[in-house]
Amino acid sequence: MTKYVKYVDVTKCDGCRACMVACKNWNDLPAEPTEFLGSAQSHAKTTADTWNVLQYIEHENGKGNLEYLFRHSSCFHCTDAACEKVCPENAISYTKYGTVVIDQDTCVGCGYCTQNCPFEVISLKEYKDKNGKEYRKAHKCTMCTDRIDEGLQPACVTTCHTGAMEFGDKDAMIQKAEQRVKEIKDRYPNAMVYNPQGVGGTHSVYVLAEKPSVYGLPDNPKVPTSAVLWKDYAQPIGKAMIGATTMAVVGAFVANKIFSKKANGHDEDGGGNHE
Amino acid sequence: MVEMNLNRRQFLKLSGATAATLAVVELGFNEKKAYAKTKEFKIAKATVTPTICCYCGVGCGILVHTKNNTVVYTEGDPDSPINEGKLCSKGTTLRQLYTSEKRLTKPLYRAPGSNKWEEKDWEWMLDTIAKRTKETRDNSFVEVENGVTVNKTEKIASLGGAALDNEETYLLSKLMRGLGITYLEHQARI
Repeated sequence: MTKYVKYVDVTKCDGCRACMVACKNWNDLPAEPTEFLGSAQSHAKTTADTWNVLQYIEHENGKGNLEYLFRHSSCFHCTDAACEKVCPENAISYTKYGTVVIDQDTCVGCGYCTQNCPFEVISLKEYKDKNGKEYRKAHKCTMCTDRIDEGLQPACVTTCHTGAMEFGDKDAMIQKAEQRVKEIKDRYPNAMVYNPQGVGGTHSVYVLAEKPSVYGLPDNPKVPTSAVLWKDYAQPIGKAMIGATTMAVVGAFVANKIFSKKANGHDEDGGGNHE
Repeated sequence: MVEMNLNRRQFLKLSGATAATLAVVELGFNEKKAYAKTKEFKIAKATVTPTICCYCGVGCGILVHTKNNTVVYTEGDPDSPINEGKLCSKGTTLRQLYTSEKRLTKPLYRAPGSNKWEEKDWEWMLDTIAKRTKETRDNSFVEVENGVTVNKTEKIASLGGAALDNEETYLLSKLMRGLGITYLEHQARI
């Protein structure tokens, strides 16, 4: 299956925020009024109801001039996603397109994903059920996987009027990003493609005008080793053991039921024989 | 070795139970997939109506997806030569024009000198507008000015909205010129 990438060229972005609105419109997310933060940026970071936020950064460049930098920030859809690794319920999974999605029915709101995401793009939302009991669910950008399923592009990409965002075949998009960085090196000497290999590459590939740290991004994000140990070693062994135990118990129970019906009483445990 | 005296019925029961246990415990039943199939695509079976953005004078084309008597999604019209499917942040909010709780659904009237809005029905509203337009026009109509026939009124002005298309704007200017209005403007020109 073709993997897709959302290509974001921050140097073409004019900060109109239509991507933020399109996201709310498609995903039916409620408004989140905010206080003035001291710049034109509306929200400090992504939240459970605001899956992408347009960053406004006032940066002094190498020549001592002001650069007004924008960045559409949302989930990166890592190839090796820390959130997927740490989720104890396997509620987070990869789709065939390379996107990372949270299954809302399976999510128990433990919040491990929000703590382990290297980009801090997952948030918990609190709900109340009809009995007044509180529960939580993790939310983040889905890259509009439901739209991709129908052959459409993500809502944010379709609305972008400067062409700062494009959506397409992974290799083509990465190539495009590399080409674009060459074009803008004169104006932005620190320009680079942000497709961190520490998480196996991402499915949101950025052309950044400055170093990642200027945008508050980690230089080399990684999946925590403890998460790898837990998910790839401890959990499968634990699950296998639970599986075997369950099988034995269920099997023994069923066999016992059947045998105890017999009047002449074969009381010995027959469970071991058919496992 | 444990002796197992099973008759045919018990053997079948046992095999069935084992198979079911295996299926559930070992192979796993993927509820996720079953659930995903039941969820319908948001704009499936929605009626799509093209419209023009009512905000600025650019006149971007917008597709309105309606279902169950409400607007479920709005997006830029890819076939529009103006915006080619793109929209700004304000145009992207167009859905709220219909779904917002703050939306007015009845005409409001504020009488001269009053500080309150009153709800009125359309009939009263249109009649009153027609009556007062005629009154003002008749009272302020100038036929000749400095020896030149002008047939105009300077007491009324008209401002067209950005949601109007070419044909509506044409009709509007015809009507206004017919009344003798000289202060005739349109949002798209500002």
